[in-house]
Amino acid sequence: MESAVPPTSTKRGSVALTDQAAPAPRADTAAAHAVDLRKTYGTGQATVHALAGIDVTFARGRFTAVMGPSGSGKSTLMHCMAGLDRPTSGHTFVGDLDVGALDDKGLTQMRRDRIGFVFQSFNLVPTLTAGENITLPADLAGKKVDTEWFDYLVGQLGIADRLSHRPTEMSGGQQQRCACARALINRPDLIFADEPTGNLDSNSSAEMLAFLRRSVTEFGQSIVMVTHDPRGASYADRVVFLADGAIVDEMADPTPETVLERIGQLGA
Amino acid sequence: MWRVTIKGLLAHKLRLALTALAIVLGVTFIAGTFVLTDTLHNTFDTLFGNIYQNIDFQVRGVAQFGSGGTATRNPVPESLLASVQRVPGVEAADGSVTGYAQYIGHDGKAISTGGAPNLGLSFDPDAQISALRLVQGRDPTTPHQVVMDLGTAQKYDFKVGQPVRILLQGPTQTFTISGLARFGTADNLAGATLAAFDTPTAQKVLGSVGQFDTINVVAQPGADKAQVQRDIARVLPHGVQVVTGQTVVNEATSAIGQALGFLNTALLVFAFIALFVGGFTILNTFSITVGQRTRELALLRIVGASRRQVFRSVLGEAAIVGLVSSLIGLGLGVLAAVGLEKLLSGFGVTLPSGPLVFEARTVIVCIVVGVGVTMVSAISPARRAVRIAPVAAVSAQQTEEEVPLRRRFTRGGIITVIGIALLAWGLTAPAIALVGLGAVGIFVGVAMLAPAVARPMASGIGRPLARLLGVSGRLGRENSMRSPRRTAQTSSALMVGLALVSAIAVFGASLSKSATASVDNAISADLIVSTTSGGGGNGNFSEVVPQAASSVPGVTATTTVYGDQFEFRSSLESLLAIGTKNMSQTVILNTTSGSGVPALAAGDLLVDTTTATSDHLTVGQQVPVKFALTGHQTMRIGGIYQPNALVGHFLVSQAFFVRHFQNPLPGAVLLKTDGSPGVQHAVTRALAPYPNVKVQSRAQFEASQSAQVNQLLGLVYALLALAVVIALIGIVNTLMLSVFERTHEIGLLRAVGMKRRQIRAMIRSESVILAVFGAIIGIIIGTGLGIALVSALHSQGITNTVVPVSNLIVFLVLAALLGLLAASWPARRAARLDVLAAIAAE
Repeated sequence: MESAVPPTSTKRGSVALTDQAAPAPRADTAAAHAVDLRKTYGTGQATVHALAGIDVTFARGRFTAVMGPSGSGKSTLMHCMAGLDRPTSGHTFVGDLDVGALDDKGLTQMRRDRIGFVFQSFNLVPTLTAGENITLPADLAGKKVDTEWFDYLVGQLGIADRLSHRPTEMSGGQQQRCACARALINRPDLIFADEPTGNLDSNSSAEMLAFLRRSVTEFGQSIVMVTHDPRGASYADRVVFLADGAIVDEMADPTPETVLERIGQLGA
Repeated sequence: MWRVTIKGLLAHKLRLALTALAIVLGVTFIAGTFVLTDTLHNTFDTLFGNIYQNIDFQVRGVAQFGSGGTATRNPVPESLLASVQRVPGVEAADGSVTGYAQYIGHDGKAISTGGAPNLGLSFDPDAQISALRLVQGRDPTTPHQVVMDLGTAQKYDFKVGQPVRILLQGPTQTFTISGLARFGTADNLAGATLAAFDTPTAQKVLGSVGQFDTINVVAQPGADKAQVQRDIARVLPHGVQVVTGQTVVNEATSAIGQALGFLNTALLVFAFIALFVGGFTILNTFSITVGQRTRELALLRIVGASRRQVFRSVLGEAAIVGLVSSLIGLGLGVLAAVGLEKLLSGFGVTLPSGPLVFEARTVIVCIVVGVGVTMVSAISPARRAVRIAPVAAVSAQQTEEEVPLRRRFTRGGIITVIGIALLAWGLTAPAIALVGLGAVGIFVGVAMLAPAVARPMASGIGRPLARLLGVSGRLGRENSMRSPRRTAQTSSALMVGLALVSAIAVFGASLSKSATASVDNAISADLIVSTTSGGGGNGNFSEVVPQAASSVPGVTATTTVYGDQFEFRSSLESLLAIGTKNMSQTVILNTTSGSGVPALAAGDLLVDTTTATSDHLTVGQQVPVKFALTGHQTMRIGGIYQPNALVGHFLVSQAFFVRHFQNPLPGAVLLKTDGSPGVQHAVTRALAPYPNVKVQSRAQFEASQSAQVNQLLGLVYALLALAVVIALIGIVNTLMLSVFERTHEIGLLRAVGMKRRQIRAMIRSESVILAVFGAIIGIIIGTGLGIALVSALHSQGITNTVVPVSNLIVFLVLAALLGLLAASWPARRAARLDVLAAIAAE
């Protein structure tokens, strides 16, 4: 399978670093951080600044929520941080990895070993059973699945009796919990969750958020979650507010009320 | 990752089945070809092994031309037999002769075999030596008895004791059937008819008085065979050799092997054409499914699949499809072998039957080729899959990226040009492999270029449909214009099929026209007497026929034509001979230098201008030649004539010919008449005792020449039909995938009031547009290929170039109808979609 070359040793990385004198990574405390991150679409008059120079740090072992109105750049920020999209300029780091310096192989390696994803629309492979979907990242990496960890996850998420079902045979909440287990199976450094409760009813949302919260508190998982929902954001340790591609505010230890209040102020 | 691949395949069984079908059919063809030819090979090997199993040595003339089983040999003198029999260690020896002897059936018609010879031979009463095994009746012992092969007896209802008329080199004679025999273990020799006479009779009626073709020898048990062979060799005169029975068997089987090798190659060419077309279908299906699975593949990338894993997944899918299809194709191939045999015998090629032979090589070739074609076809879609960005899983963009079109066109253009260059080179060289490679290049190149014209052409073809069918036709037309790449790819398979069919049509029409035109330019005779047995076998008849014909009142001139092979400057060539007496009245020979009839009468060799130019020959020049009977000699070039389709490249007089060939038989008789109306009828009546000849007017002769060409074309069309069927499967497949992809859209159309009938009409319109698009491009390319082929063969006698426009229009209409047919299933499926479910589908 894939050779386990440490992605940091890629030649492109070192060239990029010397060219632009990039800032040193802050590996000790940050799960991920971005430096002067910009992303523009189109040219001339039609230029849209999806990200207009963002500096942000997501701390290790913490649960960070990213909020903002539609088109504020939340998803773009997440895609750039996770190496799904290339920024126009600036740098993003996952741990000490310079994401911009990685080639496709390095990015694949990073997604495999360091990052987990949870999406709004579940995104399970329809032909695989729930169990197979969960072990997919490990299978792709050619790793042996840690069965103890697997059992623990499916037990915690309450989907142990659903493992042989196809996604179409499960409820939305069950599918999302399955996606959550898949994100965690390789014990990633960081989980990116993009509106994970967007398609769920309130009960399922609460369960999902509680689980994410617990994974941060109990085993020090780092999570970045994009959300619209002030109640969802209240599960986080910290909320970052985005508008027009820039960070406009942030708040620690949020509650639904304080978040809602702050959104009201920003919108005014 | 394998799990994803396999589960994905199992989840789309229909897609899998349709994709596989294209390969299954191609592999079936390959397997069928191998099984058929292996079986025939084995049958012949067994047969010859049986025939010669007791014979230790054979004494025969050394090969004059050629080698092994197909060599031309001279007979040995009868007196040699006694010398051989006296050699110590020889248990038994007997001479044998073979020649022409054709039965006349109860219905008065000559029994012809459709290719296999009508053999007359000597019956050896010594069971050790004879190849014939009497199963009924007795040996032939009088000059009026014959032993018939069991196969002919059963097929034409002859019994022991019945009289039977037999056509011979001399006058037709009536014999009594004294017995029936098998040839070795077979009822007859590969479809040949056998007439066995006692040796003196055989020598007389087969034109070998005082001679044997071979002397077969059996050694005494326990004798030192090598020593016996050396001792026999010692008593033989110059020009006669002794070989072991095993050598004879090997020569016979290798000659058969060569003939079967040709059949094998010819059939494999069509099998590979089918697979080539299948490759386009695979490419198209995989392209579409990769497009439809963009989200899924991107998701795999997000959860950690590397590019290589995605690539391997798509290719792995292809490998599995290829393997499954190849295995099914192998199984069906055995059935196909039986079918191919039937098809060929339907066209007059009779083949012997035996147990089916299934060799390991068949399995290996089928799997390697089947899996190989599928995987190679999937490479391009797999590379597209690799280019899918992981972000495609989470963003809305689902449209097919059409970015590298320009690069694709450049490449397509280059490949087309290379293809044309290779084709031109191959046609002039001439090298058939280069022609094939060039054609492949043109097809691939044009398929890459086709998207450029797909939109405007689909629009043009769809316009009448839109007018005819209203909104359904308009939507069908728009669907076909939506993705030029998909439209072009789907049509490509049909393009290849129709290109080949059109090329063959142009070639056939030109060949047919040239054949008839050349008759007018070659002969001025009013009636032509030729054999009924068509091509193959011995197209000759009794030397009594010309006399019988010339004595009919109203016949003013008779010219007898002979043909055989000789060596000209050490290369084997066809030689024709014509009686010089009335030649100027029946044959049109325009000499450009030297003289015609006088030179022939003087025993000179005449050549046509083509040969004179290529070999730098001039009148008066002495050239070395060799005849089987009379050996090396020098001939003078007496004249040079304009190319004549009947005469060919080399011509001598009849008088010269009969002196230099063993037992020559006429191949045709040309008659000039006084023009009175009853002459043809009178000649036919006069030749009634010779049912193996037919009398035709020049118009009838021309028509029969065309009919022969058309029969050959029929066989080629039948073999190409498979490629067209595979192309249609490709259209069905694409339409099914499109219907599936547009479930939501179709639901919407139904929701706003479109009737089922209109949905069906929409899908059918799209299908017809696809089919006609492929057909038009195919017919254009095919016509070009056909014209190129014909012009390359100009010097081979195809002097007329004919584009059979009406045939090509028929092909176009057929393609449109086949498009309708291909749409029937997808259209039904689309019309049956549940409206609510379709709208809900996302």
